Amino acid sequence: MIKRIVSFFGPSYPKTLTYMLQSTEYEVGPYLAWYWRTNNFGEVAHRRTLAKTLRAKLLSAGLSIGMLIQIVIAIIILIQGIKLQRGSDIYFGIALLLSYPVVWAHIIVIPLTIARIFIVKPKERHAVKASAKVFEQHEAVKIAVAGSYGKTTMKELLLTVLSEGKNVAATPANKNVAISHAHFAKKLSGSEDIVIIEYGEGAPGDVARFAKTTKPTIGIITGLAPAHLDKYKTLDSAAKDILSLADYLQDKNVYINSESEPLKKYKKSQFHSYSQQSVLGWKIDNIKIAISGMTFVMSKDADRISLSTNLIGRHLIGSLALCVALAKQFGCSNEDIIAGVAKTSPFEHRMQPREIAGGYIIDDTYNGNLEGVRAGLQLLQELTARRKVYVTPGLVDQGKEAKNVHQEMGKLIAKSNPNKVVLMKNSVTSWICDGLSSAGYTGEIVIEKHPLDFYTNINQIIAAGDIMLLQNDWTDNYK
Amino acid sequence: MDSMKTIAVIFGGRTTEHDVSIVTAIASIIKPLEVQGGYQIEPVYIAKDGSWYWDSKLKDIATFQSGEIEDFMRKAPKVQLSIDNGLTLIKSSQFAGRKQYKKIDVVFPAMHGTHGEDGELMGLLEMANVPYIGCGVAASAIAMDKVLAKQVTTSAGIASTPWVWFNAIDLERDLKGTLATIATLQYPLFVKPAHLGSSIGITKVDSKDQLMNALEVAIHYDNRVIVEQAVNNLVEVTLPIIGNDDPIPAMLEQPLLKSEDFFDFETKYMQGGKKGGKKGGSSKQGAQGYSQIPADLPKDVYDDAIKTGLEVYRVTGCAGIARVDMLIDIKTKKVMFNEINPMPGGLYSHNWNKAGMSNVDLVDKLVQLAEERWQKSQKITTAFSTSYLKQF
Repeated sequence: MIKRIVSFFGPSYPKTLTYMLQSTEYEVGPYLAWYWRTNNFGEVAHRRTLAKTLRAKLLSAGLSIGMLIQIVIAIIILIQGIKLQRGSDIYFGIALLLSYPVVWAHIIVIPLTIARIFIVKPKERHAVKASAKVFEQHEAVKIAVAGSYGKTTMKELLLTVLSEGKNVAATPANKNVAISHAHFAKKLSGSEDIVIIEYGEGAPGDVARFAKTTKPTIGIITGLAPAHLDKYKTLDSAAKDILSLADYLQDKNVYINSESEPLKKYKKSQFHSYSQQSVLGWKIDNIKIAISGMTFVMSKDADRISLSTNLIGRHLIGSLALCVALAKQFGCSNEDIIAGVAKTSPFEHRMQPREIAGGYIIDDTYNGNLEGVRAGLQLLQELTARRKVYVTPGLVDQGKEAKNVHQEMGKLIAKSNPNKVVLMKNSVTSWICDGLSSAGYTGEIVIEKHPLDFYTNINQIIAAGDIMLLQNDWTDNYK
Repeated sequence: MDSMKTIAVIFGGRTTEHDVSIVTAIASIIKPLEVQGGYQIEPVYIAKDGSWYWDSKLKDIATFQSGEIEDFMRKAPKVQLSIDNGLTLIKSSQFAGRKQYKKIDVVFPAMHGTHGEDGELMGLLEMANVPYIGCGVAASAIAMDKVLAKQVTTSAGIASTPWVWFNAIDLERDLKGTLATIATLQYPLFVKPAHLGSSIGITKVDSKDQLMNALEVAIHYDNRVIVEQAVNNLVEVTLPIIGNDDPIPAMLEQPLLKSEDFFDFETKYMQGGKKGGKKGGSSKQGAQGYSQIPADLPKDVYDDAIKTGLEVYRVTGCAGIARVDMLIDIKTKKVMFNEINPMPGGLYSHNWNKAGMSNVDLVDKLVQLAEERWQKSQKITTAFSTSYLKQF
């Protein structure tokens, strides 16, 4: 109790509020929701610390100064009230003195909202408008990548494979919203053969807007899964948004992942599909999977290409095969394609194997959707190990579907049948347990109350012959 | 919390390996025991002057690295022990004359070298009748006396390289005779203090003119010295073992050295195990960072070394944990016993990890082995009724 009060009135409180704002990307709604469910502000920052950006420094200083002014005014009124023996002043002074943490936690959103409406948004609109001209005038093949999952991976694979024979540019990392596209457009030289743009979907209408600005000539839809349902509400609404890329392209040059079950019902006959079996007339076989990478063979008529990649996970074969098929269409040589595929390696925190204490962890902590969970569990099942451990906190932003999604997740884990399941304790843990139980899982289940302790001590619990898959990781603003 | 077992980890001590013990205790024992989550850990530190301290602050390596330990020892109360059918730690709470008591369920000695690893501490724990990890009094004493260990293993038919021994006083009283005994061996030789570990005080002697200096170094550290003939075509291997009646070997490990080199303390702990490496390098890795696991040996030699290691463990009466070092003449494929270490530095957990046992599983298993051995010992009859006193 004392700790909670100290955390509320303590000197680090302004910094904590700034951290909460920063962690929620200065979005007022999620920030206030987090604020009101927090009991102890001393325990907010577990996973990360405040990044000392200019905006964070200004906000933190503003909060500190504002609070200090309120405290000084409260003390003056209080002293005045005591001197003049005026009860109303005393009560008002006390109220001012006690309320400053709550008052300033809310006052701070006002300048943020004003700045967003009057400065950030107009600036962004202007930049996006300018980028639309750049994209329109650029003569490169423009590939847009959209989907609930696998977008960044698809984009990076295209970039790696096609770069062996072509001049290729792609949006950086997972920067996939309008303003990121605008920044990307500024950096284009105009001489690129191929430009790859990732579309992030966050709310209805996003993908259609991105397509209108970036004017793609090819569209790739990587999959559909329950994600961002807090905004989309239903999977159908998310599908409509993602499929608006195909609408823009008038259903021509659209490549769709046929391994995504929920996407199947939206597939039109004009679309091209890709999978780990085939793509654009190429057949894929001899797939071999190990912790160190995968090999497979693609053949079409007399052409036969043997490929090897450092990537792991059967679900990636289809994406790689599409890259190869498109590279062939763009005129790349087999040698360049083989070299490009050989350069593909796991991306950070996405199916990334690492050796620790003789055992292996597969870091898939950036994976935040059910399809990714399915792919990871399939990989875990396929790999050979003395002991298999599956670790997850569950998925975020699942909206009303959260219970069903996590029960389904529990069933998928049970089907993969690891020796041990470690669940980070939070609001969805019991649903995962329900799924595990209903599917008859008989292995060991550990509920971990201190995720950070667990992650930092993995070297103490792993040994040769162990494979531990870590899927998803919740930041401090999710409970 | 009350249902948790309380484990006292005892480390430090009046030994040249005091600092190594601190690292073993904190990094390789306390950390995994805490991660295991089922134990309450009580760190007990024995200072270089032999004073005992018990405080949660002692779990933190920074306390020792920053020098804060000196300030802590000035202020902290020393620990008393009660050994009334169990071990209880007692210290002044420094508040109204009250005392703080902590009953210990299991003791995890993390001592290296004299006054700890050599059986002295085990004697105290036996008197207290408390379960403890590792070898008992006799095995610890044998293991920590290189002469005794050779005598026991030789009598059990286990091969060693030719060796002689003498007391420091022999050198003083009969230098000629002692040198004549040593002359029965062929150079190069290794001169070692009989009771020290971590390669402290060991000198490799290539010719007669280096011998006196090496003997003086050895008797500086110990009152008993062993001189061994170097092995030709040498492959040095070590085998960590855990268990009581049915010991389990880890993997045979081969330090990667040239035949003319050996691990002295500096090489082992200060240079990241790299002979001639940068001083003050990765001290965390130690010898463990410069070895091959499993040892690259023909299968018959590998199997023979495992068999020899397990036999040494058995005949010397080891229990819980130990590490057996062996020397192999790779041309003749002869496996020879070198020495036993009843509390391997860092528990040799890097090797157990490679063998498929995590740090947490290792300490957990050691606690279980200690309890099993203690339970078995409780069934042994220690009382016998006689009329001797009446007749006296």
